[in-house]
Amino acid sequence: MIHEPPPFFHRGPSPLARLTFFALLAIATMIADHRFGALEAVRLSLSVLVAPLQQVAGAPAVAFSRLADYFASQDRLMRENRELEAKLLDYAAEAQRSRLLQAEQDHFLAMTPSRSRFATDGMLAEVLARGRNPFVRKLVLDKGLTQGIKAGMPVIDGEGVVGQVTAVGTFTSEVTLLTEKDQSVPVMLTRNGLRAIAVGSGKDGSIDVPFMPVSADIQNGDLFVTSGIDGTYPAGLVVARVTAVEKNTTYVFAKITARPAAGVDNHRFVRILTAQRPPPAPAEARAEERRPAKDRPAAKGRRQP
Amino acid sequence: MRPADLTPVARDVMKLPAGPGLIFASLVGAYLFNSLPWGGWALLARPDLVLVVLVFWAMHQPGSVGQGLAFALGLAMDVGDSMLLGQHALAYVIATYGAQVLRVRVLSFPMLEQTLHALGLFIGASAVIVLLNLLLGAPFPGPAAALSPALAALAWGPLTWLLHLPGLRRMRRESAA
Repeated sequence: MIHEPPPFFHRGPSPLARLTFFALLAIATMIADHRFGALEAVRLSLSVLVAPLQQVAGAPAVAFSRLADYFASQDRLMRENRELEAKLLDYAAEAQRSRLLQAEQDHFLAMTPSRSRFATDGMLAEVLARGRNPFVRKLVLDKGLTQGIKAGMPVIDGEGVVGQVTAVGTFTSEVTLLTEKDQSVPVMLTRNGLRAIAVGSGKDGSIDVPFMPVSADIQNGDLFVTSGIDGTYPAGLVVARVTAVEKNTTYVFAKITARPAAGVDNHRFVRILTAQRPPPAPAEARAEERRPAKDRPAAKGRRQP
Repeated sequence: MRPADLTPVARDVMKLPAGPGLIFASLVGAYLFNSLPWGGWALLARPDLVLVVLVFWAMHQPGSVGQGLAFALGLAMDVGDSMLLGQHALAYVIATYGAQVLRVRVLSFPMLEQTLHALGLFIGASAVIVLLNLLLGAPFPGPAAALSPALAALAWGPLTWLLHLPGLRRMRRESAA
């Protein structure tokens, strides 16, 4: 005797079978996305579908902030204007000096066939929203694939490095902030040229500089700038100022905390630095790392134009 | 049958069928709500209306809303919230499975007990997402995250009323005619 429902009650696989199927599919999706980053195309095409809805949802807030801007008080505008003028004077002196330095650098670069470590080209972008993921620190910008944005481009504001573009949609892109956990930047101390890696702490407004020996010459108030040796961040961008140095001789490393110079959370406009040096091919690079340093002339040869 | 009965038992639910238009519109509305520019503390406490509407339809329209739709909506939420693809999908599929299994039992209860059952499903779904993110190395989000399923459960009653309105109105019109 077969105990099956009559065909007009047929409802497909049981809920448990469906659950197993979809749960496995979801887990496979997560693994594919996390481990292999294989689903960027899926994310991109879904984001095209979802983007209009998000724009509709965001419209009231945008309209409100535009309105608030429009009715901004005279007093605030004048104060802002004064501050900007003072800054402009500051920067004018800097700019003149930097022009001189730039000329010198061009002169030197003309003699050596490598490319500039410093930031040149950039693109202004408006911050559309903070990412709606409570576990990750991200910003959404209004420039995407169509404007030539690529993942990996650094993002700065008037004060320093904000973060790095990590995902690009058709018309928007996502910036992972410096303060995001495990987001790292190669930095250099301006006072003595000490090189280090700054790593986001996962807390707002603070980044760590791990693995510095207790004897390292780092003081409160020291300024970290990008060192430019990674091929992603141009050299000389302000990253953070040291706020706490805890040197406990019972530990091997000093505990160094720094505060990002950029107003990581409170800006409407940022600048995406679009001029990138072509990164070395990952597979080759890894092979090179495994090779001892003395037989690496191939790497140098490849960088030359 | 009382015209304003908001807690119909399972067999009465069959008398209030909702069209695909209503289901689609309610899901889009819920997605819009979730996509509002939430930030910081409010983002953690945001009631996931997509999940509420999804569980509601999985219980009231088991023929049209199931785990496949839950998976697709989960992916859409992951893209919208720029999370790892599949997190919301997994949570939604599990909650929808719960709704399918508990459906007849939950719908035979009055509203308060229904809300408590829904709360259980929502807590399960949030727990899945929080646990997945902890596994991925995110810091613990803090107590505000516990508010989200509670607020979602609070929305269960009003949403039941709202989503049954068109059906009830039609039924009243037909009985008057």
